[in-house]
Order: sequence, then C-alpha cells, then structure tokens
Amino acid sequence: MPVEQWLEWTRGPLFRFALAVMVLGLIRLVVLNGINLISLVRHSYDKKMPVGVVARDTLRWLFPFTRVPASQRLFTLVSVAFHLCIIIVPIFLAGHILLWQRGLGLSWPAMYQTLADYMTLFAIATGLLLFGKRVSTHLTRSLSRVQDYLLPLIIVTTFVSGYLAVHPAVNPVGYDATMLVHVLTGDLVLILIPFSKLSHMLLLPINHLVSELGWHLVPEAGTRVALALGKEGEPV
Amino acid sequence: MPTDVRSAVQEQDVEPTVKRVQRRVDQQPNYSFYVEPFKLEERPRRFLEAFAAILKQSNYGPVLDTYCRVGAKCSVCTASCPVYQVTHDPRDIPCNRSELLLKVYRRYFTLAGNLKSRLFDYFRLTNEHINELAESVWRCTACKRCRYSCPMGIDHALVTHLARWILAEMGIAPKALVVSVRQQLEGETHNTSGIPVPALKDTCEFLEEELEEVYPGAGISFPFDVEGCEYVFFPAVSDYLLEADTLMGNAAMLHATSTSWTIGTGNFDGIDYGLFYSDAMWERIIKAQVAEVHRLGGKSMLIGECGHASRSAKEGMAYFIPPEDRVPVVNIMELAYEKFRAGQLILIPDAIEERTTYHDPCNIARKGWIIEQPRAILRHICRDFVEMEPHGCDNYCCGGGGGTVSIDEMREFRTMVGGKTKAEQIKATGAHYVVTPCANCKKQIDEVIKDHGLPQVRTGLHDLMLKAIVLPNGQEPIVQEEEE
Repeated sequence: MPVEQWLEWTRGPLFRFALAVMVLGLIRLVVLNGINLISLVRHSYDKKMPVGVVARDTLRWLFPFTRVPASQRLFTLVSVAFHLCIIIVPIFLAGHILLWQRGLGLSWPAMYQTLADYMTLFAIATGLLLFGKRVSTHLTRSLSRVQDYLLPLIIVTTFVSGYLAVHPAVNPVGYDATMLVHVLTGDLVLILIPFSKLSHMLLLPINHLVSELGWHLVPEAGTRVALALGKEGEPV
Repeated sequence: MPTDVRSAVQEQDVEPTVKRVQRRVDQQPNYSFYVEPFKLEERPRRFLEAFAAILKQSNYGPVLDTYCRVGAKCSVCTASCPVYQVTHDPRDIPCNRSELLLKVYRRYFTLAGNLKSRLFDYFRLTNEHINELAESVWRCTACKRCRYSCPMGIDHALVTHLARWILAEMGIAPKALVVSVRQQLEGETHNTSGIPVPALKDTCEFLEEELEEVYPGAGISFPFDVEGCEYVFFPAVSDYLLEADTLMGNAAMLHATSTSWTIGTGNFDGIDYGLFYSDAMWERIIKAQVAEVHRLGGKSMLIGECGHASRSAKEGMAYFIPPEDRVPVVNIMELAYEKFRAGQLILIPDAIEERTTYHDPCNIARKGWIIEQPRAILRHICRDFVEMEPHGCDNYCCGGGGGTVSIDEMREFRTMVGGKTKAEQIKATGAHYVVTPCANCKKQIDEVIKDHGLPQVRTGLHDLMLKAIVLPNGQEPIVQEEEE
C-alpha cells in the first residue's frame, strides 16, 4: 500500500477510532469517579461537597504561582508553558480546524500560523526540557515509570513531525512520511489519554475533590473492621 | 572442578543463605520504633485481610482508586518534604511512600492488577514489603506539606494515615502510642499519662498557690466537675506534668474574662493518638471525651494548647459523632483571641521585651484554622515579634509530628533529621522566646534546642500571656523570675 493510502487510513478510520476511544474512555473515568464520589459522601455524616475549596485548589494549580516551593518555580513555569502549548495548538491550528470542517462541518476561529509555529517550537523545547529533567537526576529517575519517559517523547514527536510537515524547507524527509508519523503519534496520544496519567486533563478537579472528601471518615468503621477481623471486644 | 565437589560447594553456599533469610523472616523485625510482640506468621495474608476489611467498611477505597489513576510523578513534593530534604533518600519521597501502599492496592484490589498477576511475574506482597512500609510511614511526620504542593492534589498524608491503620490492625504500631491509648481507654485513670484524679487535684491546688503569688488575693482557681458550664477543658494531659505555666496562663485568662469552665474528673485528657495510627481508636477516644462533656452538661469542648488534640477533636466531632450529640470544639487560643478582640481580655502592651517568634503547629495551621489569632496577641504583648520563614499555612513541622514525638527511641531521627530545618529556622530568627502552642511541638522543640545547642527558650502562648494579663479589677501580674 502506498504512503498516501496509509495516510488516509490514519487520518480517517484510525483517527475516528482514537477519538472514540478517548471520548468513551474519559466518559468511563467520569462515571467511575462519579460513583466513587457518591460512595464517599454516602457513608459519612458530612454530605457537603467542598466545591469552593476544590475550585480554589484546582485553579491554584492551573496558575501555579503561589505555594510552589522556591526550588520548583522554574520547573513549574516550564511545565505550565508546555501544558498551554500542547493544549492550545492542536485545538486552534488552522489546518486542524479545516479537517474538522471537512469531516463534521464544525468550525471555530483559528490562531495565527506564526503564533502556532512559535508555540510548537516552544512545546518541543519545553517538552525536551521536562524529559531532560526527568532523566538527569537520581531523584526523578527513582520516581519514574515507563509511561513517564514515553509520554513526553511521544508528544514531542507529534509536534516535531507536525512542524516539519508544515515547513517543507527545513524538512529532510518527504511530506507524506512526516505526516504519517505526525498523525500516527497524534492518534496514539488520543488513545493513551484515558489509560495513562494523561487522564489528569479531566481528573485534576476530581482528584482534588477526592482528597477533600477522603477525610470524611466513616462512623463506626473501626468497630465493623474489628468485627470483620474477629477482634471485637479485644483489649487495645 | 569435579561435578560432585562443585555441587557440594554450591550446597554449602546456598544452605546458609536460605537459613539466613528464613531466620530474618522469623525474627521480630527491627524497626526504628519499639513494637509490642506481634504474630509473625502469614503477615502478608493478615495484612491483606486487614486491608480488605478496612476498604470494605470505610471510605478509603475510592480514594486509592483515584490516586492509582492519576500520579504524575512530577517530584514537586520532594521540595516540600522536610524529611526528604534532609535525608535525600528516595524512600522518603512522599510519592514513593504512597506508592508502597498503592502498589498493594493495585495488585490485590483492582481488576488490572489481578490480570497482570496472572499474565506476568507481577508484584507480590512479602514480609519485606510490609516492613519497608512500616518503617516508611513512621518516618513521616504527617505534616501535610506535600498535600498542598502536589499539583495532582494527591493527599499523601491520607495514604500514610490509612497505611498506619492497616499495620496497627496486625499489631505493628509504635509501642509508645499503643500503651498510652490502652491507658486512656482501658486504664483506671482514663488518661494517657496515667494521672489519678487525686494527683490531678493536688497539681491544680499547687498551681492555684503559684497563681496566688502572681495575682495576690485574686483567687484564680481550677474548677472541677461544675455542671452546666460553657466550656469543659481538655488540655493535653501531659501539661499537668510538664507545662505548669501554660495551665496557669489558661486559668488566668479564663478568670480574667469571667468564662465559665470546668475540668471533668471523668475524662480530662485532650490527647487522641488515634489520629496518628487508627481510626478505630480515634473514634473511641473522641466519643469518651464527648460523653464527659454531656455528663457535665457542658456546652463546648475547650481544647488546651495542643495541635493534634484540637484537630482530632474538631475533625473527629464531624466524622464520628452523630449531629444531635455534637458540641462545638474551641481551641483556647481562639477563645483568648475572641475575648481580646471584644475588649474583655486586657493585655499589657509590650510586656515582653525580648525578641519572640512563633512556631505554627501543623495540625491547626496547615488548613488555615489558627494562624492569625495567636499572632494578634503576640504582636500586642511583645515589643519585638519576628516570623520564621516560611510560616502560617506553609510552616515547617517541628519534626515530631504524627505521633513521633512520643517515640523516645526515635529522638535522634526526630531532632537531627525531622527537626533540622526547624532548628535552622529558629536560629535564623535570633529570637529569645520560641512560642509554640502545642504539647507535641513543645517537647520536640525543647529537644531540638538541646540537641542542636541553640540558645533559645521555648515557651507556650499562655505562658507569655501570664506576664501580660490584667484582671478586671485592674490587677497586673507580678512577673516571676525565670528559672535558668
């Protein structure tokens, strides 16, 4: 099969599949976490949802300029820049919107191509910096799992191939091959979202809510645990 | 080498290793804290049984479930953990500590873990893993700094809290805490220090005599078992043994503001070590305390200068006590501040000449509950009040939080590792007085000052207020000479 056909397949059926996996996967997470949240308040006396606290905590981390330990401020800034770029560019890139328009007839205002170019380069640079930080110290290596190394690399690959596809002047490889890599890695990212730590794009506020509600301890739980373990009436 | 000789050598090599491993497994593990003897057989099975029972009866399951899905491993918490910052040991990273328990949860309580264990050589719970977890959770001072530095909002303190409970259910909990709780719940004295009521009354009589020297003729007293009072007083019971000045300051403040209060002889201990190692104990202790308030017909629980007692009472009241039985929980500093602001508590301005600093107890400051109240008083009564950096919500733990201060065998770890940052902070202020309104922090900071050879004097808030409270009749205190 020639490259063009592969490209059509990744842009068409595979993309639709990836998008469906992402959407359904995220819906699954919302449902599962919704059930968790309900069971958290059901058993405790305090049924109030601390919405204010959670909104504050979530916003604090969307704009993390307060309460970040001093030694982590630069890292936090780089991380926020990376997040902003990888969210904004794919959604508002004129080329992407064109695809949506062709496929579903949906359209929204696009960003300037020059800005998109700069943000793409910025995403690549910050992504590599974050990856570099992770591999460079014993501390971060001791924390890291396989996905922590792979995800930034996959995302950076998507952005590098996207940039090269748009700028043939700097592209040493052919357009089709570059585009194929771009679409394939992009599809992969969509598929991975609900199954990896990327799910925090949706679960971040839910996580803050869970951390607040988690402390609503259940009355009589201790007694019932003792009963289940056959230790009722045992001295301390 | 001939084959038979080689195999004989191998056997010789192998045999002792197996025996050595076996011996290590059979022995009571050597933690950095003392543990009462517990059953060694089938530890993984009993750990999992306790874990399963707790998950079934409590709220922790959904929490672990969520935390398993989102963990960014971003390392920001390393910059906020006072223990990791000193040891630089990966096992002290909050995220790694939580992972020890999340790993067990993922393997034994999720579908994915179950499948993985069938398909691959996946993680298995061993005695070593349990020992690692036990050691790790008691190296944490439960200061909760990492909770507020985690971008994902993961509450590592909650995971540690749960891990300690699971371990306690199989008998792995610091002996110092278990013995105290046993005395409090099942002993004759119903308090962690084992103080009998006659001794308590003797102590209070002595304190009344001392107060007579500070305020001659004022007749400041410690009322016992008065029914229908506004406040029933629960200090950390160790104050009656160690913190005479704090209690005298408490009594003077309550007298000066004409507050109706009493000490219940049925239960006069605010300490609740259940907060540190077992929700089951936490619930039993708070229930006993609330029962005493109801026995006396009191309207509120007044907690003395103690961080964990305040938090365990306030949160325990909300978690474990049915709404119809609840009474408000008030910390004595909140009360003093209210009275001071309302003009009912008159304090001599600038009564304290020496430079003074204030250490925030984590349990009352982290969520922003009590931060400004004591400072308003201190700024009024101290000529030279200085802050440590950082302070308030972002303060550093004294190093003895999470119950570790009661574990004497961990002193070196507490003062040289957990308390190192605090020692540096105290030193940097150049203050004469370090004020801390918490029985835990008081003991720990005394030891930090001693072990680091610092010149500072540790004191409580009410100890200082005792030099500044003006009684309603205009009587000022006769300041006693400080004992060196």
